[in-house]
Amino acid sequence: MDRDLAERAVESALKAGAEYAEARLQRTVEQVAALKNGEVEAPGYGETSGIGVRVMYRGSLAFGSTNLLDRAKVSELATRLAKEAKAAAPYFKEKIKMSREDVHLAKWRAEEKESLDDLTLEGILSYLKELDGIAASAGTDLKLVNRILFLGGEVEEKYFVNSDGSKLDSRVPRITSYGVLTGASEGRVVQRFVQFGEAGGWEALARMKVAEKIAEESSLVLKILKDAAKFVPGEMDVLVGHEVAGIMAHESVGHPGEADRILGREAAQAGESYLSSDDVGLRVGSAEANVSDDPTIPHAFGHYLYDDEGVKARKRRLIAGGVITELLQNRETAQTFGVDSNAAARTVRFDREPIIRMANTYVEPGDYTFEELLKEISHGVYLKNFMEWNIDDKRLNGRYVGHEAYMIEHGEIKEMVRNPIIEISTPRLWGGVYARGREMEFGAATCGKGDPSQGAPVWHGGPNFVLKGIKVGAR
Amino acid sequence: MSIEEPIGWAAAKCKELGADDYSILLYSGDEGQARFGNNSLTITNRLVTKVLVLFMTKGKKRIIGELSTMERPSVDRFTERLFKSMMAAGGESDFPRLPAGPFRYSFNGDFDPKVADLDLAEHASRTIEAALAAGARRVAGSLSTDRYTISISTSTGVNATEDRSRFLLNVRSFTDRDASGQGVVVSTSLKEFDVESAGRTSGENAKLSQHPKEVEVGDYAVILGPTVAAELIQHVGSSTSAFNVEAGLSFFAGSLGKEVATDGLTLIDHGQVRNGINSRSFDDEGVPTKSNTLIDKGVLKTYIHNSATAARHKAELTGNAGLIEPHLWNIEVKPGTYSLEEMIRETKKGIYVTNNWYTRFQSYAKGEYSTLPRDAAWLVEDGELKHPVAGIRLSGEIPHQIRELDAIGKDRRWVQWWEVDVPHLIPALRFPNAKVTKAAG
Repeated sequence: MDRDLAERAVESALKAGAEYAEARLQRTVEQVAALKNGEVEAPGYGETSGIGVRVMYRGSLAFGSTNLLDRAKVSELATRLAKEAKAAAPYFKEKIKMSREDVHLAKWRAEEKESLDDLTLEGILSYLKELDGIAASAGTDLKLVNRILFLGGEVEEKYFVNSDGSKLDSRVPRITSYGVLTGASEGRVVQRFVQFGEAGGWEALARMKVAEKIAEESSLVLKILKDAAKFVPGEMDVLVGHEVAGIMAHESVGHPGEADRILGREAAQAGESYLSSDDVGLRVGSAEANVSDDPTIPHAFGHYLYDDEGVKARKRRLIAGGVITELLQNRETAQTFGVDSNAAARTVRFDREPIIRMANTYVEPGDYTFEELLKEISHGVYLKNFMEWNIDDKRLNGRYVGHEAYMIEHGEIKEMVRNPIIEISTPRLWGGVYARGREMEFGAATCGKGDPSQGAPVWHGGPNFVLKGIKVGAR
Repeated sequence: MSIEEPIGWAAAKCKELGADDYSILLYSGDEGQARFGNNSLTITNRLVTKVLVLFMTKGKKRIIGELSTMERPSVDRFTERLFKSMMAAGGESDFPRLPAGPFRYSFNGDFDPKVADLDLAEHASRTIEAALAAGARRVAGSLSTDRYTISISTSTGVNATEDRSRFLLNVRSFTDRDASGQGVVVSTSLKEFDVESAGRTSGENAKLSQHPKEVEVGDYAVILGPTVAAELIQHVGSSTSAFNVEAGLSFFAGSLGKEVATDGLTLIDHGQVRNGINSRSFDDEGVPTKSNTLIDKGVLKTYIHNSATAARHKAELTGNAGLIEPHLWNIEVKPGTYSLEEMIRETKKGIYVTNNWYTRFQSYAKGEYSTLPRDAAWLVEDGELKHPVAGIRLSGEIPHQIRELDAIGKDRRWVQWWEVDVPHLIPALRFPNAKVTKAAG
């Protein structure tokens, strides 16, 4: 990447009258392949590079991008943006300001042992075939009827510079795999969506135990199809599995804690929040409700050390002891809230503006063993993982439908049951947290937000935890 | 550099390397956007993009590449890299040669050059003013334009290029935290880009949906406004993809020629149609697009195909190629006979929903889903709107619900927004039975 282009963009924007400017050169190289029922779909290779420029003029904000990376085109874009910001300024009734943040000069790299620079489609396809063979061989009398599996690697390099003086150079390699496994018998269908993702090199596949988990998930689809009994709805305790804990943390703590939603900036698309701008300090859960987001976790799918506004990343305690302690902030919202940015600004491509995103969101661990958690339940259900889920756009009304689930009687796991449904308000959910396990697990996901849309790599996870006295429904 | 130059360079390199087939697409776009919230602009966006997409084959191997650098040395190096990767990859499968051209295309002329000069901030401001005048207190949204040129060249004699324009507005008005309304306008021309009308609709619905009440959980008839109908019917459309049928992601596997919906439902996918913002005269393999009746009076007539899926299914090409999987262009649902008022009048116990989001599936193959209404929704009792409702969720199985569908509206509009990828020209619909639930606690 020609780093001078970023410097030139900032200079051009300032020269054209902008009061603040930032530029981000970004290059992504990716290789992907998919197998559908064992057949190779066309593999892909992509090289995408370009520059994103954001300028501010008297409270007016303009973003623009181009992949035509010559000096004249980049200067032209920056100048055009400064002029557009000036022209649009009267329509910014609420003037945008940014918090003052430290200037950083840094070069950082996500850890990578087996470099993705050496990744080949041959290697990807070979691994995918191994995964597909594992999925295809699962079961005895009953086999999966459909298998679609995807595997890809990407290397994302960025060079960021702003008119405050920050200059940041980064490289993040990522490995991701996902698939849909389908079992069908006698008119019934069981499907499972699986996803894996880490920041790192090829070694991440072993660390994520992708092959072992595909074997386990494939067998489980068939076992659920054959063995899961009808679930009898009622009020009971729930043992929430790691995966369900993760999506609950992401959907009903992370999203409503995004300051831009609270301020109404995303109202027409991703929605708003049940929280108001003065709700830091509000109790929303029991003392056992503790949820954090941390971009700095090594290997995490949402890993970064500086955000896309040049702010140094740190862990954020979103709920501590049941109380809202911190929101996710970028420089714009931090200025409005009178706080410092906590580095939540992310962008996924050169042609997208940085907006507030989660990174790796999780329920904090407790001190119970799995057996101790079970002992707390005399009649309940263990929702180990889920398939269907959704939540309203203020993040108050969540639904999580079990995939692998078991009854619990007198502290012991009993029969497998079909699709128990938790449909619960956010305060009831976090108010019901009774005990948390000590073992943590994380899973990968792609979080959607923004217009134009941006699918951001994230982790979410947590320990198993016990919810007391919950209404659990059935289909 | 003319727009065709990178295509020509890549084509020459493909020939030199000995590729059996290639299809090269070049997208060149200039997108503008004004976003707003709390009655104020929040950002303007200007995205200038050129992307080269290159598909090539050799024997039983194939590969797709995407490049954003347009200088000749980059295009040459990239094409060589792609060819080497393909040959080394080892992934082999049976697929046909690209369809033989050249073809004749009939561009429907749906392009408005005014797209390049639209004052986005001023139009956003007019939207906000219209919504406020209709009763909104807070208004948010995004107003976008896209002027783009798409060009194609294939090894089978196809060379074509066309200009397209898109105008989109999604506006959401609030009167309080639980009362909101949405407006959407989608057009290929400025003339029909009526931002004030969308602003007014959102403002009026926000005003009318104030002070929502709870409803009992249970089974209700559900009247789906066009935006909700589009969001749910898009899953019917995606189930006609032969790729999705093969992958287990369709509820139409084994249903060709069978009755899959009420006889009032006719679903057409148009490659080109007036005001269809995804219109194209050629698909990604150079095949002329056309109008395909997917469901005719309730009977599933065809899956959509690219050449690979058509060969596997021994079917005719439908002009829907994506290079990996087929995709829909612009969906039309044929109008029925009901006015919205008649639908409401004939509903004893129901919910009228104007917008929804986060439809998620327990099983794509069975179409088991739930979704969340958002924005204005009302309880319908004995043929009348009783009061606004909030905090509910709808669930069901789409294949059952389209069989039971008992009213189709006569007034249609184009819908495309954050939750609806493929543009739909669609009326209101009524499902006689959906489960309504709400959160405990």
